[in-house]
Amino acid sequence: MTLEAEVEALRRVPLFRGIDETKLRLLAFISDRTEYQQGERLCSQGEPGDSAFIILKGKADVLVNTPEGEKTVAQVGENNIVGEIAILCDVPRTASLIASTEMDVLTVSKDDFLKLLKEFPDISLEVMRTLALRLERTTRDLAAAQK
Amino acid sequence: MEKNLFSFIWKFSARQQIFILLITVLSYPVTYILLELPKLIVNDAVQGDGFPRAVLSVELDQISYLVFLCFSFLGLVILSNGLKLYINIYKGRLGERMLRRLRFELFQRVLRFRLPHFRKISSGEIIPMITSEVEDVGGFIGEAFALPAYQGGMLVVQLGFIFMQDPLLGLAAVSSYPIQGYIIPKLQKKVVLLSRMRVKNVRLIADKVGESITGVPEIHANDASAWHSADLSDRLYENFKIRYEIFNRKFFIKFLNNFMNQLTPFFFYLIGGYLVIEGDLSIGALLAVIAAYKDLAGPWKELLAYYQMTADVSVKYQTVVENFDPADIYPVERLVEDASQELKGDIVLGNVTFSGGAAGQEVFDASLTIPEGRSYAIAGPDGSGRAEVLQLAAGLVSPSSGRVEIGGVNLDKLSESTLGREIAYVGGAVHIWTGTIRDNLYYGLRHRPLAKVERHGEELADYQRRISEAHETKNPTYDLAAHWEDYAAAGVSGPDELDEKALSLLTAVGLDADIYRLGLQSRFDPTMDDELADRILSVRGTLAERIAGDPNLANLVELWNQNNFNASATLAENLFFAVPTDPEVGMDNIPDMPEVKTFLSDTGLDAKLQEIGLKIAETMVELFANVSGDSGLLGTYSFINQEDLPEFDRIVRVARSGNQRPGLSASDKSRLVALAFKLVPARHRLGIATDELKSEIITARRQFLDSVVGSSKNFVAIDPNTYLPPLTIEDNLLFGRARVDRRDARQRIDQVIRSMVEEMNLREPIMYAGFDYHVGVAGSRLSAGQRRRLALVRALLKNARITILDDVATGLNDEDKALREALRKLLAGRTFLFGAPNEELGAEFDAYALFDQGRVSSTHRNQA
Repeated sequence: MTLEAEVEALRRVPLFRGIDETKLRLLAFISDRTEYQQGERLCSQGEPGDSAFIILKGKADVLVNTPEGEKTVAQVGENNIVGEIAILCDVPRTASLIASTEMDVLTVSKDDFLKLLKEFPDISLEVMRTLALRLERTTRDLAAAQK
Repeated sequence: MEKNLFSFIWKFSARQQIFILLITVLSYPVTYILLELPKLIVNDAVQGDGFPRAVLSVELDQISYLVFLCFSFLGLVILSNGLKLYINIYKGRLGERMLRRLRFELFQRVLRFRLPHFRKISSGEIIPMITSEVEDVGGFIGEAFALPAYQGGMLVVQLGFIFMQDPLLGLAAVSSYPIQGYIIPKLQKKVVLLSRMRVKNVRLIADKVGESITGVPEIHANDASAWHSADLSDRLYENFKIRYEIFNRKFFIKFLNNFMNQLTPFFFYLIGGYLVIEGDLSIGALLAVIAAYKDLAGPWKELLAYYQMTADVSVKYQTVVENFDPADIYPVERLVEDASQELKGDIVLGNVTFSGGAAGQEVFDASLTIPEGRSYAIAGPDGSGRAEVLQLAAGLVSPSSGRVEIGGVNLDKLSESTLGREIAYVGGAVHIWTGTIRDNLYYGLRHRPLAKVERHGEELADYQRRISEAHETKNPTYDLAAHWEDYAAAGVSGPDELDEKALSLLTAVGLDADIYRLGLQSRFDPTMDDELADRILSVRGTLAERIAGDPNLANLVELWNQNNFNASATLAENLFFAVPTDPEVGMDNIPDMPEVKTFLSDTGLDAKLQEIGLKIAETMVELFANVSGDSGLLGTYSFINQEDLPEFDRIVRVARSGNQRPGLSASDKSRLVALAFKLVPARHRLGIATDELKSEIITARRQFLDSVVGSSKNFVAIDPNTYLPPLTIEDNLLFGRARVDRRDARQRIDQVIRSMVEEMNLREPIMYAGFDYHVGVAGSRLSAGQRRRLALVRALLKNARITILDDVATGLNDEDKALREALRKLLAGRTFLFGAPNEELGAEFDAYALFDQGRVSSTHRNQA
């Protein structure tokens, strides 16, 4: 898969939706492309998160720690972005990710993404807009739930 | 040392000076006849009559006579010029020898300075003295006696001629000499003073420049470059002023001299003319006198130039030499003496007083006994006299009163051959020499050349010449190429044991892990050690097997395979499947290597690679055009750096404009090829490495192997069964590349390599390879801690009877504590003197003394 395909995948990520093509290409280029075997761990719950994963191929299980051990709570697949909160602020990973098939993943590191934001403030605006929309939706959902 | 230049010259080259003078005098008649012969040829042989002539009782007719005279002329031309050539070379050689003698003497004197003297001088001043300032002396030495003697002789002869013609005219001819002889030295004296000032000023400039270089981080950190610029500029102005003054005076002297010389003919015409008119002098005599006077000007001018030069060179010589004659300089025997005696017994300081020249560097009336074979600590904060006492005990400095004795022998009277071999000293500031770790480790064992080097034929002749030149110039005859390491002193039998011992000591001081890492990163020449190369190859084989057997590992690396494309390696590595023999050859130089150039154009790959390079450049320009340089994105991810981006931008525009002219230059094309070479397909997913390109590269790879690698010395083929010297040991162990598209592949595979190295007992040989690591200028490629520990091992390797450490491993942390423990164990049974700023450490030693403000405040004995 080439840069172009990665750009396509990035474009489907809501967080990056409004960003123009050349900047997405730059983001794709500075990101690491990594392969994972089935059963390999992408990240573990509780460790400091420093990158977001964009799944280009394959699936991963999302696991959380419970008193009975790790438990699969969800599955993520192609074109999903996982751990994107970690590249915006310092929070520990809230879940573990384990490849359930062979995977092809684009890893965007926090440092690089922040550098990119500094370079191109319009990207920041887009990201802010997406986050605000999310917040608004969450607030609305919360209000609906309280009724 | 000779204070005066002439006594220096005469003392060391009197015989040669007389010889030069003799040859010069000998050449005088030759020159004279050479000037006379043309006249004889014209007047006598061409226009003369009364032939035949008898020459050496042979009758010659006119033609034969002409031929005879012309050939005599030719012979004399050859003789005269031959003599000149000979004498010039002789003078030059003499000058060089004397210069060598002088420079060496100066350097040796530097080594003889007492340590406190170095507080007063700086290397920035000493270096130009030994190098450039004495340079002129060499050129002068050959002329020192011959020139005045020869030209003076000429002058006397010509003057005699004039006096013989007419004493009055003779007086007129010399009338200006007393005035010149009075005024010119007066003026010259001022010039001499100015030259002295100039030399000192230039020294100061050198010192300031040197200091700026050493302290450059401070300059930048304090924004002091303006101040330094102003300071230096001020000095330069000073230099200009002095120089300008010198010019003024120098040329005024010249002017005065010329004027005086031309004033004399005035008297000739006036007085001589009067005498001729009165009939007291014939017109012929007057003309002859005027002609002779003209000949006077030549030697007189030469003598004056000589006088000025003498004054200049003498002052330079004196200004240099006066710096090398401190009153308390060590005798030369202290350096050159080779016999050493054993220093057995207690170290006794008896009422020792010492002053380093500043407060806090003093010792007052200290008396102390350090028992032989025990460990003893000297505790006291910096400035308490601790460091000075330890240097006194090591014989590095001498007390101003009192005695320092070991076993009843006064250290001040001992030569370095005893002090430097019987005592090992490591002070607070260690120096690591530029060279390899091995050089530094064994530095303390290199006292004298030990074994003679076998030389034959030309090499032997060259060596003998070197030795005879050394004798000529009183230089040492030590053979640099000989074997210097004193195994016996280190307590080992040979080089292997010495290496082992060094390794065990490195381990003891905790430097082993560092050396191992350096070893892995180092390159080694397999011809030096076949066995190690073989063992590395066997690890490579086993590693490959293990990787093949373990899918988890197999996933981390991409091994070299001649039939497969390695996506984690660069395009260049894939194409050549070989590495340049010279590891210094970077990717940017490869396209310009002649064999690569021919290969690329023969296979038609050059156009293809340029196209690829262009594509990469285009993408990079597009992606990074709007990225600012300080974001760091460009440096980290692009293979073009910020400075080169506009250049590639230009190349892309030129290439895409479609214009044939001006088109891309050859160097542009090379840059594009170099860019293509750097592509690592798995990292840079630019969609360039298609399957088609890959198979094309694999085909070309075979061609390259056949056509270039087989015949060229500049490439070594990547081959699983050979050791590749241009690669580091680590890269040789792993015959492939860690995959760039696997997370932490490098670290994970390194761990595997490390454990395999341990398993196969390769750790030691790799550490030995680390011995050859180059430490950079003054050890700059090592950390401060590494440098200190290296110096410590150097001292321990000396195996000396007495070991003195100051401010080494004096921390209260566990690491330093363990090191002290190890040191005590290593030095058990020997005298071990340990300096520390904190009193707490004293309890660890057999006994300790406490210093305060240069005095012994208390001594303690610990119960064993």
